Amino acid sequence: MKETRLGDFEEVLLLLVGILDMEAYSYRIADEFYRQTGRSISIGATHSTLERLEQKGFLKSKMGEATAERGGRRKRIFTITALGKRVLKESRDFKITLWAQYPDFSTNLQFV
Amino acid sequence: MKPIQPPKAARKLFEWFSGQANIDDLLGDLDELFLHHCKSKSPRKARFLYWRNVLSLCLSYALRKRKRDARYSHFSTSVVSLDMLHSYFKVAVRNLYQHKYFTVLNAFGLAIGMSIGLLLIAMYSYVRTYDTFHENGEHIYSIVTHRLSGVEDRHLASAPGLLAAKINEEYSGQVQAIEVRARFYGEVLAGNGRVPIGGYYCDDQFLEMFSFPLLSGKQDGILSKPNQVVLTERTALKLFGNSDIIGQTVELYEQGLFEVSGVLQDIPGNSHLMFDVLVSLASWKDQPIERVQEQWSEYPNQYVYVNLQHDNPGRLQSYLNKLSVNLNIHNPVQVTFSLQHLHDIATSDHYNAIGPKWELSGFIVFGAIALMILLPACFNYTNIAIARALKRSKEIGLRKTLGGMQRQIFFQFITETVVVCMIALIGGIACFIFMRSEFQRMMVAGSELDLSITPFMAFLFVAFAIFTGLVAGLFPAIYFSRLNPVEAIKSKLSTKTFNGMRVRKGLTIMQFSLSFCFILSIIVFGRQYRTLLNMDFGFRKENIVIIDLKGEVKPDVLMTELAKIPAIQSISFSSGMPVLTNNKTWIHLEKDSLEINQLFVNNDFLTQLNIQVLHGASFLETYTSHEQGVLVNEQLVRNSGLTVQDAIGHVIRVDSVDLPIVGIVQDFRHAPSSQPVGNFMLRYDPTRFSQVNAVIDVSNVFETFTSMEKSWKALSPDVPLQANFFENALDESFDTYKVLIKLAGFLGLLAISISILGLLGMVVFTVETRMKEVCIRKVMGASASTILVLLSKDFLKLLLFSVMLGIPMAVFIYQTVFTQIPNYHADLTVWDILAGTCGLFLLGIITITSQTYKTALTQPAEVLKTE
Repeated sequence: MKETRLGDFEEVLLLLVGILDMEAYSYRIADEFYRQTGRSISIGATHSTLERLEQKGFLKSKMGEATAERGGRRKRIFTITALGKRVLKESRDFKITLWAQYPDFSTNLQFV
Repeated sequence: MKPIQPPKAARKLFEWFSGQANIDDLLGDLDELFLHHCKSKSPRKARFLYWRNVLSLCLSYALRKRKRDARYSHFSTSVVSLDMLHSYFKVAVRNLYQHKYFTVLNAFGLAIGMSIGLLLIAMYSYVRTYDTFHENGEHIYSIVTHRLSGVEDRHLASAPGLLAAKINEEYSGQVQAIEVRARFYGEVLAGNGRVPIGGYYCDDQFLEMFSFPLLSGKQDGILSKPNQVVLTERTALKLFGNSDIIGQTVELYEQGLFEVSGVLQDIPGNSHLMFDVLVSLASWKDQPIERVQEQWSEYPNQYVYVNLQHDNPGRLQSYLNKLSVNLNIHNPVQVTFSLQHLHDIATSDHYNAIGPKWELSGFIVFGAIALMILLPACFNYTNIAIARALKRSKEIGLRKTLGGMQRQIFFQFITETVVVCMIALIGGIACFIFMRSEFQRMMVAGSELDLSITPFMAFLFVAFAIFTGLVAGLFPAIYFSRLNPVEAIKSKLSTKTFNGMRVRKGLTIMQFSLSFCFILSIIVFGRQYRTLLNMDFGFRKENIVIIDLKGEVKPDVLMTELAKIPAIQSISFSSGMPVLTNNKTWIHLEKDSLEINQLFVNNDFLTQLNIQVLHGASFLETYTSHEQGVLVNEQLVRNSGLTVQDAIGHVIRVDSVDLPIVGIVQDFRHAPSSQPVGNFMLRYDPTRFSQVNAVIDVSNVFETFTSMEKSWKALSPDVPLQANFFENALDESFDTYKVLIKLAGFLGLLAISISILGLLGMVVFTVETRMKEVCIRKVMGASASTILVLLSKDFLKLLLFSVMLGIPMAVFIYQTVFTQIPNYHADLTVWDILAGTCGLFLLGIITITSQTYKTALTQPAEVLKTE
């Protein structure tokens, strides 16, 4: 059976891909991750996770254009698939339902 | 300023590690990250981080997955699939079939080249099986010794027999040591003849240690009492006609009666222990009182074996070391012991070995010769394959354009070569079977060699063929796989081909130089042999028959009998014959000792062999009771520094008798041809005569021999007559040369035929490619002879170069190898070189013109009409 579960780290990367849109290639993703979270991740980990997400069908990739600072090598641009979007959404909804049941915060969380 | 570059080595490592996987984007990311780090950090730190990232990627899931995906892509070659191999094979077979002529040429050359290698493999794989049939073989060791006596420094296979008893007595561990004394020899009196048998002295434990199964007889005490023997089945059948002979006796000439206590199964051919008979150690008759000390330092033909089933070799070795230290303290002869495993005995290099030796050093020399024959054959293949690159470049270009990877093309060509080698293997095996018996006859111990093909050998043969294929095919395969597809498909092979041409020419020249050396060595060896045959020995050798005195025949009785035969012209006695007999002794002359060769003869001998007495007198036939004088040769007089006048009458001391020199004879060849003429003397002592020499009339040899036989039979009915012509016996003493000439001739024939095949291939190819050019030239008015010269010129130049290279090579080989043959080696003269050159050119020209002549005569219209 195809693995469809979404891990925590995977979810963050998936969101970052969505945010970066056409700029979503691994160097930028890692960079953005550092900016957003203050934690750095290794290039190997980034690629492995992206590769795994693609395997699960949440991402798809195509080779983009080359730039000089990359030594004339092309980028691999990732985009979220429809499945990826749905999984993200489900994950968020699931968490919100959980939050809704959480006693202290349930009354304060009216903004949705 | 030049921007800082990421570390190259890291990138190379990463690329290599990734193999077929697509890592373009990963490399890009690495570069971008590096650039980013360069801005904020020191270059060293940035480089370090680059390395770390490379390692992190190498170990990551991402790369693993990409590599896995790449493996199943269309361009993948990392897995050798069965289908692909099948396809390579098919294409190879089709290609070979299409170019039948070259295939046959190649296979033929490789078959010849491989034949010697196959012989070597067969020999090696047989020798490997030596002594493997013993059940306890893993644990049996022989004790070998290193003996240092003055300047004599030898590794001996023998060891003092006393050592066995000493080990059994003193050594604390659980070992079984046995003593074997070799070279038992006896003649069994059976019927009215004598059957010679040989073997070892040993005791019961011999049969416990080694697996020679008993057919009959009880193992217990089988060789414990004096005069007990165990026979092999073959010997038993020979002596008794059946093998059920326990308790019977055999009578040995001059050694008495022996009781047969057992019969053994015949010994396998691959045993280093070879015997007809085992005699109980108790029957060993001690030499007249040896000093104990000497028994530890003089031990020819004594061997010690140990079984270390319940002990380890290291412990025994340290015991032996201690023992030899103790022994050597008061002994001028230093002896040290070491263990040698049973399976290594047959291939070891020790002196005085009990059985046949197949030294490793011999195998290495043989291997070098095999390689010298094989490599030219491989060169030929390489040569022709590269020459045909032009024809096949379109095929390669197309394959590459359609996505054929370098590696695939490489494998394609290697497969093709291996297939050719497999075809050649069949031819090689045929050659091998043909050569096998001839080879065995040439070798000293060849008869013990069993070279029938076993599965293991067959496996080695196939492996050898594949190896040959790899050697021959490697260079062309690399060359083809590296072709630039665009150039290849347009048949525009640039500079690379030119280099190929040069390599090819170089290889051909090398080959022909080698052949040239072989031709020369055959010429020189041949002359050496001929000179030896026609050598002036300084005495007459024709029409002399040697009759060995055997049994109870009295010399003078035989003489009177023989004198009755009319064809016999004269009769003499001697203890041997010059050249054939090598009987050395020492004499005291003044204060010096001289080593000297001697023969015991009578006066008639001198007349028969036409040996001139230059000064003094010949023997007086009145010497009857004891010797009264000797004849010496001129060389002795020269060596002793005496004048001729002084020498006559001078007394020399020999065999503790003082004898005067009564005469001086001319120098003649008395020793084998490998030695120079040295000191020599003739003595008269009828008790030492061992042969009768008769000069016969050769007009009716058969009748003379029959009458001689009749006279002999009347005197000695038991022992048959043994008579030989002196001249034939002399010729036989040169058999070593005959074998050498045969060997050199045979190897030379192989080398020459391989190079001729190579040349033929090149000529055929050139002629084929230049066909159109030739025809256009003919249309323009060139004559057949001009064309012939044009086509042959280049090849003749190659031959010329190879002779130029071959002459120094041959001279070098002559000086290092031939001059090592002691004395009277034939010289390498200008005429030999000239003859060799002519021979090589003759062969070359025949080969070249056989092809070019045909081309020169073609009708231009036949070829050009299709254009």
